[in-house]
Amino acid sequence: MTTHPATERSGGRGGRSARNPVGRAGYVFVSGYVLLLLAFGVLPTGYAVWLALSNSRNQLVGMGNFTRTFADYRFGPAFLHIGLYLVVWLASLMILVVLLALMLHGRMRRTSTSLRFLFYLPGALAGVASVLLFLILLDPAASPVGWLLKSFGWNTLAQVNAPGHLPVLFTIIAFWTGAGGWIVVMYGALNSIPDEILEAARIDGANTLQIALRIQIPMITKWIAYMLILAFAAGTQLFVEPQLVSLASWGMIPDSWSPNQLSYQYAFQAGDFNGAAALSVDLLVLGLACAALVVFRTGLFDRDKG
Amino acid sequence: MNNDVPVSSRRQLRHAAVAVLGAVSLLGLAACGSADPTPAATSSPAAFKPVAQEKGSEITVWADATRVPGVQAYQKTHPDVKLKIVTYSGDANGANDLQTKVQLFDRTGSGWPDVAFSANVNDGTWASQGKTPYAAPVNQDVIPQSTLKGFADGALNPCTFNGNTYCVRNDLAQNVLWYNKKLMDDFGYSVPTTWEEYQALGEKVVKEHPGYLVGTAGDAWSAEVYFWASQCPASTATGARKVKVDLRDSKCTRMAKLLDSLIAKGSVSKDTVFSAGFVKNEASKVLMLPGPSWFGQVLFNSTFKIPKGQIAAASPLKFEGDTKNYTGNVGGGLWFVSSHSKNLKAASDLVTWMATSDAYQGTAGTYPAYKKAAVTWLANQKKTGYFAEDVSPVFMESAELIWPGWSATQYSQEAIYSSTVIPALNSGKTLTDTLDTWQTAITDKAKSLGYTVN
Amino acid sequence: MRRTRRPRSLAARLAWLIVMGLFTLFFCVPVVWLLLATTKTDSQIVRDNPFSFGSLGEVADAWHHLYAFQDGAILTWLQNSALYTFGALAITLVTSIPAGYALALTQFIGRRMLLTITMLVMLMPTAAMVLPLYLGMNAVHLDGTIWSVILPFSFFPFGVYLTYIYFSSNVPSDLLSAARIDGCSEWQVFRLIAMPLAKPVIALVGFFNFVGNWNNFFLPFVMLPDSSQYPAQVGLNNLLAASPLFNTSSGTGNQIMRPELALATLVTIVPVLIVFLFSQRALVAGMLAGATKE
Repeated sequence: MTTHPATERSGGRGGRSARNPVGRAGYVFVSGYVLLLLAFGVLPTGYAVWLALSNSRNQLVGMGNFTRTFADYRFGPAFLHIGLYLVVWLASLMILVVLLALMLHGRMRRTSTSLRFLFYLPGALAGVASVLLFLILLDPAASPVGWLLKSFGWNTLAQVNAPGHLPVLFTIIAFWTGAGGWIVVMYGALNSIPDEILEAARIDGANTLQIALRIQIPMITKWIAYMLILAFAAGTQLFVEPQLVSLASWGMIPDSWSPNQLSYQYAFQAGDFNGAAALSVDLLVLGLACAALVVFRTGLFDRDKG
Repeated sequence: MNNDVPVSSRRQLRHAAVAVLGAVSLLGLAACGSADPTPAATSSPAAFKPVAQEKGSEITVWADATRVPGVQAYQKTHPDVKLKIVTYSGDANGANDLQTKVQLFDRTGSGWPDVAFSANVNDGTWASQGKTPYAAPVNQDVIPQSTLKGFADGALNPCTFNGNTYCVRNDLAQNVLWYNKKLMDDFGYSVPTTWEEYQALGEKVVKEHPGYLVGTAGDAWSAEVYFWASQCPASTATGARKVKVDLRDSKCTRMAKLLDSLIAKGSVSKDTVFSAGFVKNEASKVLMLPGPSWFGQVLFNSTFKIPKGQIAAASPLKFEGDTKNYTGNVGGGLWFVSSHSKNLKAASDLVTWMATSDAYQGTAGTYPAYKKAAVTWLANQKKTGYFAEDVSPVFMESAELIWPGWSATQYSQEAIYSSTVIPALNSGKTLTDTLDTWQTAITDKAKSLGYTVN
Repeated sequence: MRRTRRPRSLAARLAWLIVMGLFTLFFCVPVVWLLLATTKTDSQIVRDNPFSFGSLGEVADAWHHLYAFQDGAILTWLQNSALYTFGALAITLVTSIPAGYALALTQFIGRRMLLTITMLVMLMPTAAMVLPLYLGMNAVHLDGTIWSVILPFSFFPFGVYLTYIYFSSNVPSDLLSAARIDGCSEWQVFRLIAMPLAKPVIALVGFFNFVGNWNNFFLPFVMLPDSSQYPAQVGLNNLLAASPLFNTSSGTGNQIMRPELALATLVTIVPVLIVFLFSQRALVAGMLAGATKE
């Protein structure tokens, strides 16, 4: 199934190991990163897991924090919101990003570069900075897209922010700020496919669609898998978009709309770091389940596969 | 395609995963404590014990950008005091930055600011709680009683817990009845004094001058403007961490009905006054608007750009059956002195100056909570010549009329109203329909923070 | 560099134009609005047509108001942001590029475990990491120093993965084996073979690291005790909180309104856009190198 001609497994595993013996070089190369990983990844995560299993008096409480947060009246709605959001978000991101990257690829270089720049622009506006934008953007009376909002029958800020619209609204915002970056990544991935392969397919009579489906997409599977894992995790951990819209609408979005927001409420409003950690571990488990599925299905951890 | 994955390493990976899961679940089963979060300390220690004092040591002040120039002015007049000024959000707009940081400082046992300003009037609720509350009880020899007595009646209510005063109030946001005197005169209306007259006028406006407004119900603080004034028991503290919530009380339903009828007729808007849509299309059609004292300059002058000499304020309305008119309050900043401060003397002196001095409060943007400073402030307001009539008598009267039955809580009534009631109103429900949902939202939130609700 | 291809049908071209046109509008209209907002007064922003142009004089006014906020604090924020992000960028590149390379193209015990742990840590919600990181920094007495921000910023598992995927799907290990047979040391293989091919991924990693850190609000907010240390995002948050738009107790006489906020937003994203343009050039340059690799 390997399509990379240069990576035909000429030597096989045994052969490769022989030529690239298990040595110290690998350790040297990863050492700096491993130090950072331990200090700022493993230790904090370990501590967070410990928090989730203990109480404020440092006693082990088992699953207590999990059952306690599960029984919270906000738990169900928050996960339901996220579920709806994930469906809309993953579908639109995966399809549109790959589609746009394919459409940009193989075009005149200058057009493609400018378009990628334009698509990326909102990505720079990701932080606190964009509150002002949404303050105006979502208010049909002054919004540059007011006509569009009004055509849906939404004439006031409150109607735009109606609870039923939120998953789609947050998807649009997240896509607006996040898609450009992924398009750049996918474009880079597509670029690394040797021209010869595409040319050969074309000579064989393959049309654009066939090339995209049979050659380009299979060859960037790893990248797509990686995007899927991160997009899923980012989706379950949704935090910024509801906060922004809430700020821009003077609080019309509940402060615990998403599980990650709920976790934040636990930690910093109720001072309950243990409950907060339990919620985070819930999200971690969800992310890991998705990652495991994707890793095993696509062989993300294996080398020599495109 | 999975054939490429070496079986051995997949197995290793699974083994590792199983091992980790197993270890975690073992820990999970080995429970030996209760998962309840630390029960909130119901009573604070009787006497406040300051930490060892270091005379003349540097104090750290946290204030928002609006208050920082005041602190700098204090530094100029008190050059011998060592001050470190830190600008932060001031907890404006529902942020809880101060609480977030204090929680972290409590964990590490250092870092607390000696003095902190908060624009969130509810911050006293958590700052007075815990094993060692962040806020020092200023009534215990930190700030003189004579100074504390100089604040407007009830101004220190959001700071008072278990008989101690944990903060001092920077400003009041007492509600008054704002009206456009020019429009009222043009239309030949007189200013109502009761809610019944207000309702009648609201109905009359719809017939005679459709499009003009007598109020808004879509602001986060609408509950504090209308329901607080109506003496609705939506947030009545009955003890430490005990609160009464009863939106089915007739004092609540009477206001809900009044607003519902005016919303249905169209003279009360479901929008919020700060939204671009409102500013653009409705601002010039505001005939009356019950709202806080800061509406005058911040809303009518700066935001709505209503010309000079049109806006005036009238006394809060009362219900015909009631003996007295009451009003509500929308926000108002607090000053805290840290219980961990090593220089309480400098800290309390700064707080006293910021909250009470004519030099600072007399020209501040909002109505001073300290009575003497308020007189200076009102004189300065008169000098601006913005208002059609002197607002002083109305402001001073209403500052003392705030109904004491609505207490500060750790959760924000504004956040609950915005996220529960406003979306319901905009989906076509009436306030009366929404009271039950609203009641549940308040009760759930209160319980989640350890309150007993009855 | 690309060979001519068969002419596409008119319909296909039209479809391409329509799709690209729609997405360009989607991504750009709000940004254009933001640009125009700085040329107007607050009242014009609310009342006039969203796409009207005010005057350049208004931009100057907005800048004066913005600069007057805390005596030019905006410049301090930008300087701080630059210090934190570039400091972290250097450490990130030095650590994550070799790590990604080693994970993809060398053999060592624990490789899979490292990949798994990296993934696990990457999926951990940040809300839960704040307290442990804060306590950790406090324990080693780095809290309040610039290192409490730079070091966590430098930990960039996302970049390690990007590098890993890039090397594992683009650089054939046979190429490296050949070099080893020719007598290159592991360091030489990395330096002479892998690095020249790695330009695009270095550009990507550097760029995403820069943007992520530039826009990070919560970590510096938690770690830094002093407002003179604030980076742009924390500063902007204070600016927002000082505006009467969001802070009802801010009182009058405050000059921070919509045009000033729009301008502050634009000023803080300029560095991101510059870095983007640079990294794009490297991406294209790397692409050329990649095309000739075989």
